[in-house]
Amino acid sequence: MAIETGLIAIGAGIAVGLTGLGSAWAEKDIGSAAVGAMAEDEKNFGKGLILTVIPETIVIFGLVMAILLWTKMV
Amino acid sequence: MLHPEKMTKILMVGSKERLNDVIDVLYSSENVHPIDFSPEEEGFTLGTPLPSASEASQKLLKLRAAEKDLDIKGEKVKGKVETSRIYSEIDQTLVTISTELAGAVESKNALQGKAHELESQRKLLEPFKALPIDLELYRGYQRLAVITGSVRSDPEAQLNQALKNYEFFKSSDGRFVALFVAKEEAAEAQRILVQSGFTEIQVPPGSGSPEQAIKNIDEELATLSKKLDEANERLVKLREQHETFILASTEELSIQVDKAEFPLRIGSTAHAFVIDAWVPTDGVEDLMKRVQEKVGDKVAVEVLEAMPRREHIHPEEASAGSSEAHVQEIAPSKVQQKKPVGFFSYLTKLISTPKYGEIDPSYVLAITFPLFFGLMVGDIGYGIPFIILGAIGLRKCKTPEWRTIATMLFFGGIWATLFGFFLFGEAFGMHFSPQWLPTTVSHTTYPYGNELSWSSMLQTNLPQIGIISKLGNVKLFLYITIWIGIIHLLLGFGIGLYNETIRHGIRHAFFHKVGWIFILLGGACLLPWILNLLILNVAVSYTDPLFLIGIGLLLAGIVIAYIGEGGPAILELPGLMSNVVSYTRLAAIGMSKAGMALAFNLIAIEMIAPAGGIAIFAGMLVFMAGHLMIFILAVISAGIHGIRLHYVELFQKFFSGGGLAFNPLKIVRKYTSER
Repeated sequence: MAIETGLIAIGAGIAVGLTGLGSAWAEKDIGSAAVGAMAEDEKNFGKGLILTVIPETIVIFGLVMAILLWTKMV
Repeated sequence: MLHPEKMTKILMVGSKERLNDVIDVLYSSENVHPIDFSPEEEGFTLGTPLPSASEASQKLLKLRAAEKDLDIKGEKVKGKVETSRIYSEIDQTLVTISTELAGAVESKNALQGKAHELESQRKLLEPFKALPIDLELYRGYQRLAVITGSVRSDPEAQLNQALKNYEFFKSSDGRFVALFVAKEEAAEAQRILVQSGFTEIQVPPGSGSPEQAIKNIDEELATLSKKLDEANERLVKLREQHETFILASTEELSIQVDKAEFPLRIGSTAHAFVIDAWVPTDGVEDLMKRVQEKVGDKVAVEVLEAMPRREHIHPEEASAGSSEAHVQEIAPSKVQQKKPVGFFSYLTKLISTPKYGEIDPSYVLAITFPLFFGLMVGDIGYGIPFIILGAIGLRKCKTPEWRTIATMLFFGGIWATLFGFFLFGEAFGMHFSPQWLPTTVSHTTYPYGNELSWSSMLQTNLPQIGIISKLGNVKLFLYITIWIGIIHLLLGFGIGLYNETIRHGIRHAFFHKVGWIFILLGGACLLPWILNLLILNVAVSYTDPLFLIGIGLLLAGIVIAYIGEGGPAILELPGLMSNVVSYTRLAAIGMSKAGMALAFNLIAIEMIAPAGGIAIFAGMLVFMAGHLMIFILAVISAGIHGIRLHYVELFQKFFSGGGLAFNPLKIVRKYTSER
């Protein structure tokens, strides 16, 4: 296996790993606040879910990048 | 059909003597949403409850107390009680229940109190059991101090050094000590004991050996617990005897109280009442007929207005150029779809109730949500179990949450099976494709290679089914999902355009939605060009007609959106792009499922099973456990991401929500029947 291939693999890993951490970091605060709001009033579930998953787009971008990198590898 | 039902506002006026009959009609029609009367209107006051309310409330209070004492939950009750029986028997039964219950509950409480007392006594005696000293010997001395308690370390050596006149006892484990010491030396003794981690324990009252006292208490406790069991049994018997009747009469009386208190929501004068209410336009005639039948011409029913979908704008506000719609009155939204769309309305309600003037998003949800779920799962091996599970769930589940999940599984499962067969040709992560043998056929004929497939599993060459492979055509799959996103969002903007036209007029709709539609279409035209430039590394031309059209649409859209919404519209542009890219999760989740399935298949079939013997069994175990895990993950990830694409990406393009749910007067009977 060429060094380039390995570097691409590492790059793909970093892309998905760091964006995952980023999403998680953002979601943890929103999620706990959303659970708090839901405890007050269950009607907030829908809004809570929407707000909680908004940062998830970051990791989806990371995943897409990783996949595109991976297609360059094989 | 797509909108909430059309509403009409009615006004009913009549003499108070007829109020009771009118309330009966309103409740039985189940189609009237009363408007709470505001006492600001001149000449009217809020009504007062009917006289029957107070008597029913008192009985209800007694019934609820009995319900609590008997711990009635109503889970096992079958059969219904007729209301006529309730009225003939309730007074008698209430007397019986309250006398029997009072005795039983009181004796139970007394027994419980006594048991608690004995237990606390026993707890106090417990440490003294360790020393062979009768209780009366601990007290009654003139020149001696008695110190009892627990210690952490043995103080005997120090005591021996410091004290002259004393006697010391300790338990066999050394944790409990009793010290009899001359009063003048007591302070010194205390000091030494504290150094050993002493905690004082008071000597309990009583006499004789502590061991004997504990024994007596235990005996007493045993008889008490027998009595307590008997008392509980009596309560259980009482519960069995009266449960059905108590629940039924609680229900009937609650209905009566609700009806009798209804005048609190309407306006009245000394002799007349006035009711404002919303009625679905289709139901007005029926309501009038019912009123006519019951009270004839004694009550006037007047149709005030059929509520238009367009939200009112005050003329002075409109002339001042304010585009903010001023809603005069909110008509309730009655959204009651037929199956199967109705199954999805719970998902809409989780966000909000649709406004009176907007399309109910449950229709879009019912079409595209199962479609997305199916695309993400895309495997017959999971699709068919989903259909079965969903069908069972729809049959058995009663709560709206579980019914919604069952609906998702059933319809999602159908699409997963269809996609799994026709698009991906896959079951449990393995393709239906001919086996590629290096010697006979070339790699290009069978693009999926000689991977693990159903052909190799069944040792026969199956025909090629399916068009793309999740793991083999990654770029194509991602590209398709971006187009799905563009189409889905266009659908959202289209519905938004329609909603805005209905609610605020064509001009408002044009500047708020058409700009975004142009931007999205422009982006769609540019997409192949950008892909060529950035990913496929194909030479691009700046005179490509598609490129020019795309740029034109994009610029026109930005201008329109800027006029309609101002500066923030430009800030939202990247948001729209991320919305589109967000749909690539359809491919990403499908791929992750396929990847996991591939890994488990390789481990189970190619790594473990070939060893033969018990390894075949182990391989099967790994295969089943792995696919069960993917199956469960599929529910969670495909379900959540599918609904998220609707909530976050789609709904924001057209759904404003915040409507008032249609809440008609009606009677729900669970334990009673009227005839």
